[in-house]
Amino acid sequence: MRTVPETNQLSVLDDVRRALGRRATLLPVPLDPFVESPLEIDSNTLIERFIQEATAVRAQVYRLPGELRLVETIVEVCSRQNDDVAMSGAIVFGETDLPEALAARGLSTFVGNDTEHHQLVARLANCGVGLTAVDYAIAETGTIVLGSDEPNALLVSLLPPVHIALVRAGQMIATMDEAIKRIGSEQIGSANPARSVTLITGPSRTSDVELVLSIGVHGPKELHVIVIE
Amino acid sequence: MPNPDLTQRSHDALENSVLQGALKAATDTFIERRREAITSVADWEALRQRARQVKEHTINHLDYYLEQLVATVEAHGGRVFWAHTGQDACRYIVDVAQARGIKSVVKSKSMATEEIELNDALEAAGVRPVETDLGEYIIQLAHEKPSHIIVPAIHKTRAQISDLFEEKLRAGRPNEVAEITAMARKRLRNEFLSAPMGITGANFAVAETGTIVLVENEGNIRLSTQVPKIHVAVVGIEKLIPRFEDLSVFLRLLPRSGTGQKQTAYVSFLNGPRQTKAEAGFEFHLVLMDNGRTRILADEQMRESLYCIRCGACLNVCPVYQKIGGQAYGWIYPGPIGAVISPQLQSLKQSGDLPFASSLCGACRDACPVAINLPDMLLALRAKAKESGVDRKPAEHAAMRGFAFIARHPGLFTWSGRLMRAFARLMAKGGMIKSGPMPPLSDWTDYRDLPAPRGPSFRERWKKEDGK
Repeated sequence: MRTVPETNQLSVLDDVRRALGRRATLLPVPLDPFVESPLEIDSNTLIERFIQEATAVRAQVYRLPGELRLVETIVEVCSRQNDDVAMSGAIVFGETDLPEALAARGLSTFVGNDTEHHQLVARLANCGVGLTAVDYAIAETGTIVLGSDEPNALLVSLLPPVHIALVRAGQMIATMDEAIKRIGSEQIGSANPARSVTLITGPSRTSDVELVLSIGVHGPKELHVIVIE
Repeated sequence: MPNPDLTQRSHDALENSVLQGALKAATDTFIERRREAITSVADWEALRQRARQVKEHTINHLDYYLEQLVATVEAHGGRVFWAHTGQDACRYIVDVAQARGIKSVVKSKSMATEEIELNDALEAAGVRPVETDLGEYIIQLAHEKPSHIIVPAIHKTRAQISDLFEEKLRAGRPNEVAEITAMARKRLRNEFLSAPMGITGANFAVAETGTIVLVENEGNIRLSTQVPKIHVAVVGIEKLIPRFEDLSVFLRLLPRSGTGQKQTAYVSFLNGPRQTKAEAGFEFHLVLMDNGRTRILADEQMRESLYCIRCGACLNVCPVYQKIGGQAYGWIYPGPIGAVISPQLQSLKQSGDLPFASSLCGACRDACPVAINLPDMLLALRAKAKESGVDRKPAEHAAMRGFAFIARHPGLFTWSGRLMRAFARLMAKGGMIKSGPMPPLSDWTDYRDLPAPRGPSFRERWKKEDGK
């Protein structure tokens, strides 16, 4: 194994300091926070706004008054294909009779929390649907927020061609600004410093060929968001 | 690489009717989408000014924030490599790959890796780089250079891409855009599942939390960073922002300015290598790259060119870019921002002609989400090019000196003005000069008509009307 000389650190930092006209690093006075007035908005309007924005970017949104029809809704989406259903957020889905209901339609479920990484990736790539429970949803942009505290959530939401995400009404945040502040404070206070977070707004898309919108290039082709009140 | 001069490259672009159509469609579309997208923000100008303030603060304290970033990334178990030059960065990444016996890597669109020609370095070392952004994949298959920061293959038509896929992938001919996308998805999915290493750039690096932020639409960046166990991010030192909460402003400005979206499909916040109790082998390498940036930092007048967040908005609104496209700029950074940073990152000798390819109309400054004063930078670079003798045009210089002499002698000025007007009227047909007899006049009239002067001169009228 060839080793790379580790001598560059000082020289680049020295160059930065020299360019700024000083020899030692200067402690900055942090900028004052950027204050924006929060959006005063009631829970119902929040959900309506989320649905409007998410639908505009081609997510399919289902609004359920409680968990009564949750399993039915998930099973209906999953039944449109024949492959296995991968689940993250087993705590949420474990309380339901979802695996049984899917089995009745001939669909197996896969959790795989302790699977070795490469096996997990290969297995998920052959699943037809990935099912996750999100951390938050952002009404302003129709975005869902998924953290890596939940084992495998990021891969489950990425590799299968269909992603179903579960949002509870209480997880709805009005604006991107509020969401970033909340994620940031969790990032700083997190016991898991390697925590990664992904914002998802609609299914995977590209306009790289003649600016024509094409859905499902590398990530999921379908995004279904179930909002439970 | 044969590199004809800017004038020749521009001529070629102007004569390429496919390119002209594509450029018009792309820039019109992006301008319209951006215009619409910024109306969804209550106070766009306040966001811009805040973003500028944050960038200014960060760049002026870059030493502090770099030290902080290194500490937070290392605390997460990431490894940091400082690259003084592009070669340093390439060598480190090649060494990481070779030491682990890696034969192929998946790459996401990254201006930083384009800048250092990482793909060439990897190939030379026997490591196969696979570009995974659809536009970059097309460019890589065609062995071309990107023509737009956001849509790299915008200069290619669907039919050209169909031909390219048919020839290179040997899996039939995809005709519709959806078929092209599906073919790329299938091909690249296999690459993602087998590649041991993913290489990306970064849109932002948060000093406070050690977070690498990546903004995208396709999902290829998520796959490149989540599926292979090793992730390498190549990041210019100017990409830092101090605090996580600063992202609030930038994540609203960037997608609206770049693609005209309120939000892109995906934003990833990555904090070091994944850590699972059961399994080892996850690695994160952050390559912090100078490659000419401290030179820009040292020049207070030019420092703000480091505020750029690579959105591409200045390209779309630029009347020069709209006509000549990205490839004519000769290097990877096109448009007004390219004309500003290329001569600084390369040298005035290599690309000192770019700052002259601007009408200085200011549309770029108005579109820039961090309010970079691009026209001022362009003017300053023109002066530098003149001073350094790079832009040496003896005839123009002599003509300017001649004009300066005439302008200092009122009698001569009046007399020569009369002479010029008389000549101009002789050449004009119907009040317009349509073809000049020789350069430099014919250089103008080859493309535009020049109105002939009418009536008395300003000075004559001033005299006659007694300054009223």
